Amino acid sequence: MRDNTLKYLLVLPAVVVVFATAIWPLIEAARLSFTVGRLNRPGSLEQYLGWENYTWAFLEEPAFWNSVWVTAVYTVLTVGLTTILALGLALLLAPGGRLRSSAQTLLILPFAMSPALIGVSFRFMFNPEFGLFDAFFGVLIPPLADVSWLADPNLAFAVVVMADVWGWIPFLTLVLIGGLASVPRDTIEAAQVDGASGWRVFRDVTLPQLGPVLAVVIILKSIFSLKTFDQVFMLTNGGPGTATQTLSHYIYFNGMKYGQIGYSAAVAWLMVIPMIFLTYAYAKFVFRKD
Amino acid sequence: MAEIKLNNLTKRWGEFVGVDSQSLHIKDREFLVLLGPSGCGKTTTMRMIAGLEDPTEGEVWIGDRMVNDDLPKDRDVAMVFQNYGLYPHMTIFENIAYPLRARGVAKSEINPRVEKAAEQVELTQFLDRKPKALSGGQRQRVALARAIVRTPKVFLMDEPLSNLDAKLRVTMRAELKHLSRELQVTTVYVTHDQIEAMTLADRVAVMKHGVIQQLGTPDEIYNDPANLFVAGFIGSPAMNLINGSVEGGEFVTTGGTRLVKLNTADRDKAILGVRADDMNVHGAGQGDIDVKIYAFENTGESTLLTVQWGRQRVIARGDRHLRKEQDDVVGISLDADHLYLFDPETEDRIRI
Repeated sequence: MRDNTLKYLLVLPAVVVVFATAIWPLIEAARLSFTVGRLNRPGSLEQYLGWENYTWAFLEEPAFWNSVWVTAVYTVLTVGLTTILALGLALLLAPGGRLRSSAQTLLILPFAMSPALIGVSFRFMFNPEFGLFDAFFGVLIPPLADVSWLADPNLAFAVVVMADVWGWIPFLTLVLIGGLASVPRDTIEAAQVDGASGWRVFRDVTLPQLGPVLAVVIILKSIFSLKTFDQVFMLTNGGPGTATQTLSHYIYFNGMKYGQIGYSAAVAWLMVIPMIFLTYAYAKFVFRKD
Repeated sequence: MAEIKLNNLTKRWGEFVGVDSQSLHIKDREFLVLLGPSGCGKTTTMRMIAGLEDPTEGEVWIGDRMVNDDLPKDRDVAMVFQNYGLYPHMTIFENIAYPLRARGVAKSEINPRVEKAAEQVELTQFLDRKPKALSGGQRQRVALARAIVRTPKVFLMDEPLSNLDAKLRVTMRAELKHLSRELQVTTVYVTHDQIEAMTLADRVAVMKHGVIQQLGTPDEIYNDPANLFVAGFIGSPAMNLINGSVEGGEFVTTGGTRLVKLNTADRDKAILGVRADDMNVHGAGQGDIDVKIYAFENTGESTLLTVQWGRQRVIARGDRHLRKEQDDVVGISLDADHLYLFDPETEDRIRI
């Protein structure tokens, strides 16, 4: 067998798997998005509508725009908070930082939990009758003791954001520790001798050199935040009302609960668009040539 | 400008002693070289002066101030790092300007000072570039310019030439020397290269295992080594060290050859040190002793003869026009004025 043939044969299984699990579903979803696509109406999966599902989402569905808004705010908040907190932790934990490895191990723990489990456990912890947080507030800040966290739209949103930030900090911290370790120590020491204060060393020397890693972290976390589903599903199920309904949850609800497969496929494709941009940016940063 | 005083300076990491209670007085405007093999504590000593390493014990004084508790930024020193430590995201101009910016020098003053520093190291046409686009030698100059853009009390240089190729190192060495004599700032320079130490220093401190073995002018450490380590470390080729004993006022090699008269008491064991340059090569039968050539090397500016001397091999330097072959026999005589005797046990010099 010629080397060339063998080369392609070896890659083939991976290509087949990616095609079957990613490319094909994408194509099929694109097709469905142009059909009536109702699970309870036989033949509607082949009944073509043109762009109607898309125009419906844009023009007739406030719930769609609500979930876009929720997702956008959620993404900005979780990406921002997680990155800032993880960077702070990484600075403490990195070689030469103030905390050492026993603390590192402990801090990785939240990442070992599945997002759905995080959702469930946070729901219990915020239960107004027997929740852990409720007990804390009862002692520390009594006025907050009887607040029904998950019943108030804004508070529920805050809880979902908090659960997500809590779950993602470890991973981002790990990546940033790696990034910090790759910043040459020479440059930091040079800045110290050159007369820069701790904060200026960080701002002028560490941060700029951490830039590419930070960009990867932000893009990656944005992708994960945009598609958040499990935590929302387990913690609030999109509620109260639609206060925490992210796009993923909205798509799931329309497709699986209401049987509107065609419409939810259209919305899912709308979500693919920002994802493509983010993935492209991610690939560019990860595979960039120096 | 200032003098530096180290008082019983010690650095320990757990059981490991990096620098062992060393005291050193570096004079104002002096160019002092810390010389030694890797791991001898020379870099650690410098880093403690810079404030990048905290001493376990002892004091660091710069000028009339004890700086142990001062951050590096408050010590008014400038440092050139082995890997240059240039800021890769800044242009050369920004790199050189950084010490000024970090210390809040007025903007109007920054431009002329950066340009002057760049001029001094001949970098003017590269100011817009990033360090990545520069060669090793040019990066070295940027690091130098960044150090001289301010007038610090002290310059610290950590093996600044070690990453350059051999040819460039010689050029940069001369430039460094010229610059240092021009600037007249107290300088501490760390190197493992004895040629750099010999050529640049006003005084050299030779270190080993965290202890200064000898402190002296290049002349002193070359011509008057305090112990076996300094004798063997300084000079290329290294000083010949011949094992033997002193019997009846003569040095006798372990092989039994009576070599030279020495004005010292008898001892069972002694090491005779003689530099290759102080061994004169003659025709067979015309020296103190006839030896067979083990290897003959022509380096261009001189010749090196490795000769078999009983059970030991020693190196003699011959005239640059001398031509010999392996296994030829030559006569060797020692220059009695430049012989060194050491105690193999204590490794100390025995004065003769």
